[in-house]
Amino acid sequence: MAREKVGALVMLLFSIAYGLLATKIPLSFLAQQETFTSRTMPYALAVMGGILSFLILVLPTVNPSGKKTLSEETRGMEWSTAILLVAMMLVYGLIMKWLGFILASIIFLLAGFYILGERRIQRMLFTAVLLVVGLWGIMSMLLGVYIAPGEIFYQLGIL
Amino acid sequence: MWDGMINGMMTGITTTMIPFNIAMVLFGCFAGSFIGMLPGLGPITAVALLIPVTYALDPASGMVLLAGVYYGAIFGGSTCSILINAPGEAATVATALDGYPLARQGHPGKALAIAAYASFSGGTIAVIMLMFFAPMLANVATSFQSADYFALMILGLTAVSAFAGRGGVLKALLMVVLGLMLSTVGTDQTSGTQRFTFGSLELLDGIEFLLLAMATFALTEALFIILNKDASSDSFDPKSIGISNLKVTKKEFKLIYPSILRSSFLGFFIGVLPGAGATLGSFMSYGMERNLAPPEEQKKFGKGSLRGLAAPETGNNAASSGSFVPLLTLGIPGSGTTAVMLGALIAYGIEPGPRMFIDRPDVFWAVIMSMYLGNVFLLILNLPLIPYFARLLAIPRNLMVPIILFFSLMGVYLVTFNDFDIMMMVFFCIAAMALRLMNMPMAPLLLGFILGGLMEDNLRRSLMIFDESMSFMWERPITLGINITTIIVFSLPFIRYMIAKRKSKTAKVDEGVAAEAK
Repeated sequence: MAREKVGALVMLLFSIAYGLLATKIPLSFLAQQETFTSRTMPYALAVMGGILSFLILVLPTVNPSGKKTLSEETRGMEWSTAILLVAMMLVYGLIMKWLGFILASIIFLLAGFYILGERRIQRMLFTAVLLVVGLWGIMSMLLGVYIAPGEIFYQLGIL
Repeated sequence: MWDGMINGMMTGITTTMIPFNIAMVLFGCFAGSFIGMLPGLGPITAVALLIPVTYALDPASGMVLLAGVYYGAIFGGSTCSILINAPGEAATVATALDGYPLARQGHPGKALAIAAYASFSGGTIAVIMLMFFAPMLANVATSFQSADYFALMILGLTAVSAFAGRGGVLKALLMVVLGLMLSTVGTDQTSGTQRFTFGSLELLDGIEFLLLAMATFALTEALFIILNKDASSDSFDPKSIGISNLKVTKKEFKLIYPSILRSSFLGFFIGVLPGAGATLGSFMSYGMERNLAPPEEQKKFGKGSLRGLAAPETGNNAASSGSFVPLLTLGIPGSGTTAVMLGALIAYGIEPGPRMFIDRPDVFWAVIMSMYLGNVFLLILNLPLIPYFARLLAIPRNLMVPIILFFSLMGVYLVTFNDFDIMMMVFFCIAAMALRLMNMPMAPLLLGFILGGLMEDNLRRSLMIFDESMSFMWERPITLGINITTIIVFSLPFIRYMIAKRKSKTAKVDEGVAAEAK
């Protein structure tokens, strides 16, 4: 199946789900009497999304690059590295509150460099620490933005 | 009108010439060139990355900075295209057609210098036109009502799709609709009803536009560099460029200046069209020059023609300035980048549209006047610095990509201080990557998302004013005029398709007749 058709199918399903969810938007008694309610726009968008997706599905694909299948398009791509980086971003989001901005960011950058094949420890440390401490300095000292320290420092009694 | 314009210009000059704002223009051009030069990153990413910095500034300084980033990134993108044939975005693809061959022939400095002069000329001529056209349009637009705004937004969103190119119209429209759908998440401003929040407190205020812009562009582009194993910069040797190589002879200037003039005008007017933007500006300028060139010169196109390099470079810069006309006067972005800038304006609490011309002349005129300064800075700063800037291209991707990811995530986190936003960014990044792999364009999504809230408000208000009747779509002549334009714009791809079909039919018939005659 051409990758554009896959996209259209996904969007068709999304539009249907969006439309169904739109029926769950709560309306007060007074709002129910109005022509334009909080549901009106979502309903219209769900219908438009459905029609457009359907048209892409049934009409022939004109764009040659859109005719490729997903497997053809993704063949040879470096998936493992990209997935590791995405996972690292998720971990970064999870540890940010606990370790605080500086520690979490340094760990994220070091892990990122390592995942991408950098092995020179000095260069990695220098770049990560310089960037993070530099940004922290600009934000908190120059712009006066308060960046809360990590929870772990309170738990350990350091702060 | 002229008095107002002169007063406005004076306000703009006064605001721009504040030392802090001069520094912002300089910083914007520098940062834009820096980010735009990195392979794979375009002006949308550059502007999105710098938005968090502008939150600490006043609106005029912030917008001046973002405008500087915009044209700095376009210039930076051209450098990357010329040196390593890796255009960061579609607008600089045409530059690479002749710029890269010229660089390969041993004239990288000349190619970069021509690009710099063409950018400067295109940008400056377009800013002069912007200065006259923007206030005129803003004056007309002050009489606009909600119905006209609604119609204009429909026109803007339709135009984005109509200019999407062959086979891209429906996909662009679908992405606009997806953007509009995402804009409905959160609390409905009029009724206070929660929509699609799934009981999450974090979604009550809706999705942050910066978050979506960073996730769909900055994060996604950085990850695609990895996915595609983009090693375009690996073989680049920055020492190959010397300052002495940056000379352009008088004869060469004579050859390119008519192209620069023509492309400036064409690029500007294409940029003014909502949705057309720099890409169309650069390609049409390139096409026009190739058609106008004498047969001997025509043969050089694609092989390092100086005219073939100057025309798209002028065209994309002129179109970039032109795209500020609908942004500043109507509140309708002309391109993906100006859509992000519109989001920044809204975040400042400034209502984009013709009222901005009256209510915030400092912002309106400062952006325009700062462009003169920005163009001069780009020329005098970037020309001698090209050899040093080019060293950026040699930064290995194993250091560059994590840094881009870090700045993208931080750009959002340091504004909201909410770790849930990092999770949301990752979610949207994965979704955007999937959509891009399915050949769906991302810029229309952002445009739909940013205009969604305003569109719904204006539609609701129009219906209230017109007693819940849809007659507001045709009762006022302005609204009717805009709607007719929308229909024409919407029909353009179909008309193009029909013409192409008829042409191919005629060609087939001719072939048949010729075969029979044989």
